[in-house]
Amino acid sequence: MTARRRRRFGLHAKVIVALAVGAALVSAVLALSTFFFVRRDLVDQQISSILRQTYADARLVKLELGAPSAHIGNALASLAPANGALAFVHHGRKWYSSSASVSGKTIPRGFTRTVDRGNTAEQRVTLDGTPTLVVGVPIPSIGVEYFEEHPLTELASTLRVLATVLTTVAIATTVGGALVGWWTSRRLVRPLDEVVLAATDIAGGTLDRRVPADPDLEPLVESFNSMVSTLQERIERDARFAADVTHELRSPITTISASVELLGSYAGSLPDGASFAVTTLRLEVDRFSRIVQELIEIAGMDAGAAAVHFTDVPLADLARATAAARRPPVPVTVAGDAGRLVVRGDKRRLRQVLVNLLDNADTHGGGAVGMAVGVAGGSDAGVDGRAATITVDDAGPGVPVEERARIFDRFYRGAASGRRGATQGTGLGLALVAEHVRLHSGTVAMGDRPGGGSRVTVKLPVVEP
Amino acid sequence: MSPADPSSGRRILFIEDDDHMRGILAVSLRQEGFHVQEAASGEEGLQALHEHGADMVLVDLRLPGIDGFAVTRAIRRDTDVPIAMVTASSDTYDVVAGLEAGADDYVVKPVVAKELCARIRAMLRRVGGTSSNASVQRFGTVEIQREAGVVRRDGEEVPLTVTQFRVLCELAASPGWVVSRAQLLDRVWGYDFFGDDRLVDFHISGLRGKIERDPSSPELIVTARGLGYKLVPPT
Repeated sequence: MTARRRRRFGLHAKVIVALAVGAALVSAVLALSTFFFVRRDLVDQQISSILRQTYADARLVKLELGAPSAHIGNALASLAPANGALAFVHHGRKWYSSSASVSGKTIPRGFTRTVDRGNTAEQRVTLDGTPTLVVGVPIPSIGVEYFEEHPLTELASTLRVLATVLTTVAIATTVGGALVGWWTSRRLVRPLDEVVLAATDIAGGTLDRRVPADPDLEPLVESFNSMVSTLQERIERDARFAADVTHELRSPITTISASVELLGSYAGSLPDGASFAVTTLRLEVDRFSRIVQELIEIAGMDAGAAAVHFTDVPLADLARATAAARRPPVPVTVAGDAGRLVVRGDKRRLRQVLVNLLDNADTHGGGAVGMAVGVAGGSDAGVDGRAATITVDDAGPGVPVEERARIFDRFYRGAASGRRGATQGTGLGLALVAEHVRLHSGTVAMGDRPGGGSRVTVKLPVVEP
Repeated sequence: MSPADPSSGRRILFIEDDDHMRGILAVSLRQEGFHVQEAASGEEGLQALHEHGADMVLVDLRLPGIDGFAVTRAIRRDTDVPIAMVTASSDTYDVVAGLEAGADDYVVKPVVAKELCARIRAMLRRVGGTSSNASVQRFGTVEIQREAGVVRRDGEEVPLTVTQFRVLCELAASPGWVVSRAQLLDRVWGYDFFGDDRLVDFHISGLRGKIERDPSSPELIVTARGLGYKLVPPT
């Protein structure tokens, strides 16, 4: 059960993880490629627009400085570079800037040299932590180089927003994948739950239980149901066979015992030898009859064909009625608080429990010396809730500890009882006791009687009034 | 077969297909003073009952041809004669089905001759004039004439089986008092503590079906849960 559940949750988790990981991978690839494409596009656009502006500004500077009495500072001031851009003019060794606070010396040396040699160039640098595009245009006709610095903060923040949006979408997709996985696996597992429930019911004896048709699990449901049908047929066939055997054996036993009984009523007028034979025959037929009945009973239980007929049984009355029918009657003690104990049980089977225990005491324990009904203490009840105990004591030598559990096995004969005496049990009596008690959710144990002999204790759950 | 002796022998019809078993049990019953009519099949049994009648019928449930259930139902259609069924086990559904078919009691194989005789005697016992002296009792629209063995409802005679009549009389003997299942089993069927409660419950339900206005919510024969039944006295 535990193993099955663990595996089931394993499947559950696996489906969830697989779908979540799948969703995460797909969304990550999509997000990353989107991000890189968009970034490349945006950067390209911005760079070309910056270049266009710088060239235009450079042309303007060239015009301004081409005029007589031109002043570089005025020319720069007439420019209005947009978006916080800065303009610089490099003339000889001197730098002129559009801003009083920023000097052209911030532009990397290598870059300045490239432009000095007459090449137009652009470069991305980080100035004071701000990503910046530096563009340089040589204006050889007037012997200056024109530079502009364009901060790329706006682009960076756009890209940050994009990255945030894409990450959020990727996470949402992953969670969505996990949710879909959870839902799917639940749908996947739910029909299996149905199968598990059905299997539990069937194990509990509800043999006509079937798993309802489920399109998702059609082959499983079909083969499961057909397996149960086969099983049910088999069990019913076994039960029917047991019932048939029951019927077939009981009639001849009736005939034989009735004949022997009739013969026995003439025992007085038979010669000694014949009379002895009839008496022996009577005892053996009686024993044979009991063996067969107990075998049939046990076979019926094995086949799951035990039809139990539960009623409320007053335990003290049960014990007294059983004990009173013994020859000689067995004394019964009922503890003060046990007189009103009622168990939910099958009267016939409970009587058989007591009769078999008394028979066992008579056959193997030197005779039953007493029967007692009591209430089991809370901690040692051994069964759920309050329990009633019935004990049967005998005056025999007791049963060795190592044999006490096995004594309830079928046809078990203890080391001490190797001799086949005149009065013998059926070898099934105690096994049947154990079966009946189990059927009543009780326990049975062989122990010592204080003062010698053995004591069998049966504990049965009590019906609370 | 010995001739019927109405003074000592009550007539028992024994329907059983196993010749040996039927033969030896018939001998045992005859030794006890009963007059036994044997039948080897359901058909033969119904024929014999029709021709000779019987004070009691003993029928095996598993018969070739028409089975014991059908035989029981067929007998119940015509007469209220006590029927005991012979079944292989008290646990099988045979008992329930047999009681539903109209059987009054059952014996389980292997049948012990002495027990069988005790059962038969209990079934043949007449209704005794027990604690109640009134020979006619009224409970609402139901009237019980104990001596005549007649029960009327709204003036019309209700056909009760012998066992149903005896159960009703036991309840009527102490109107308003709960009679336990064990008491009914003892007084009607002659069982000790180990009698089968189902016998009582089945016959109570059969009885209700015949005398209650609405058998599903009985007003006359009321169940005292866990205790037994009582007959509600006239108000």
